Amino acid sequence: MSEEIIRVEELGKSFGEHQVLRKIDFSVNKGNVICILGSSGSGKSTLLRCINQLETQSCGRIFFHNKELGRTQKEINEYRSKVGMVFQSFNLFNNMTVLKNCMEGTRRVLHLSKQEAHERAIAHLKSVGMAPFINAYPAQLSGGQKQRVAIARGLCMNPEVLLFDEPTSALDPEMVGDVLNVMKELAQKSLTMLIVTHEMDFARDVSNRVLFMDKGYIAEDAPPEKFFTAPEHPRAKEFLSRFIAG
Amino acid sequence: MTETPTNSFEWVWFIAKKYSDLFIRGTWLTLVVAVTGTLAGFILGYIVGIVQDTRINKEDNIIKRGIVRLFKIIATVYVELFRGTPMIVQAMIVFYGLRQSGLEIDSISAGILVTLLNTGAYMAETVRAGIKSIDIGQREGALALGMSPIAAMFHIILPQAFKNIVPEMANTFLTNLKMTSVLNVIGVQELFLQAKTAGGTYYKYLESYLVIALIYLVLCFVFSRIFALIEKKMAGQKDYVLAVEYMENTQ
Repeated sequence: MSEEIIRVEELGKSFGEHQVLRKIDFSVNKGNVICILGSSGSGKSTLLRCINQLETQSCGRIFFHNKELGRTQKEINEYRSKVGMVFQSFNLFNNMTVLKNCMEGTRRVLHLSKQEAHERAIAHLKSVGMAPFINAYPAQLSGGQKQRVAIARGLCMNPEVLLFDEPTSALDPEMVGDVLNVMKELAQKSLTMLIVTHEMDFARDVSNRVLFMDKGYIAEDAPPEKFFTAPEHPRAKEFLSRFIAG
Repeated sequence: MTETPTNSFEWVWFIAKKYSDLFIRGTWLTLVVAVTGTLAGFILGYIVGIVQDTRINKEDNIIKRGIVRLFKIIATVYVELFRGTPMIVQAMIVFYGLRQSGLEIDSISAGILVTLLNTGAYMAETVRAGIKSIDIGQREGALALGMSPIAAMFHIILPQAFKNIVPEMANTFLTNLKMTSVLNVIGVQELFLQAKTAGGTYYKYLESYLVIALIYLVLCFVFSRIFALIEKKMAGQKDYVLAVEYMENTQ
């Protein structure tokens, strides 16, 4: 068993009366490429946002390297600098160039020197094929390009885990492939990733673990080869039959 | 001037020349009060706007929450007070109020103070709207990198909000340029008061006010052009240069 990075215990989240997450228990180990699947409204994105603390859980605990995550802003900031996030809507800083976007975190949070931050940004932008666009602003890029920059921005922080919240859902079908390829390369380099997605082929081929969520619970936690061939949970079967039929 | 002017047009010219000193001094003072009052008011407006936008964090301890709440209440009372009363009344109350309480404030300082307080109240709302206009994702993107909420505000959100509210800041400044005229009630010798003085000698008020109307018009025109330039400059360039040194064959 490889080293555990994040462990979630009894996590619950409700918005008012509406309970979105119930009793979530699972852990993320080094090298895991976990795809979180499930129909809309099953709590996938909320789970990811709780892990990154963009949402505060209503109950339960999160452990990072076996240490419970504190509630102070400082602890949360430090934790977030090690757990990156890629958003569905990219969230690149609109007032900065591609290069600046990739240097902002390393400069302000990790306090790297300008030269170091620059080198790191270029290296990661190269790896996602976006280095020629360092002078462009986000508004001048296509969705797929933006998402690749956003991934590079996340990588610049050298995160221990990178969270992806439906990274290809806002993209044209043609651009989805570019982004998925980048993610596939990251998986091959054994970056630990937690990916909320609707890309079933990607989940089957690239992930080494699938979490299937239903009504706020983790209904199934299985390796992809098992999940896609012999799912146990009735909702998972139903979900997959639609995918195969579709 | 050897001949007496015969019509209004000549009178305007006559008065403008004869009292050019007064008008120049009045213009200068109008500019000083409007520019300093507005700039300081912008700063105040940013502070108040940010305070109003600050969320009370349930996780914070009771003292911090109490302080944040207190500041928010002060900000709200201030904004409502200054948006809900006419500037001319504010001028009287601030000037005479300070004097009666023993502070020997001169009318120009009082005028600047009133302008800045008034501007701050309106700008606070503008800044708040500007912050709200920035997509929440910008903040989340910053937080996800480990930036503190304050750093996210100052480095990511405010620069973008600022760009969005430049037109409104221009509006506020032009309004202030003209609103300084009400400060004549506390004896600030800005354009309006000078026109009153200039018109008095020959009993040619209409002509005298026409002179300053023209001056206001020119001032506003010049400043609106300046702001338009700033806006254009901030919009940035449409094109970007490809970094060819990083181009690969596959690109």
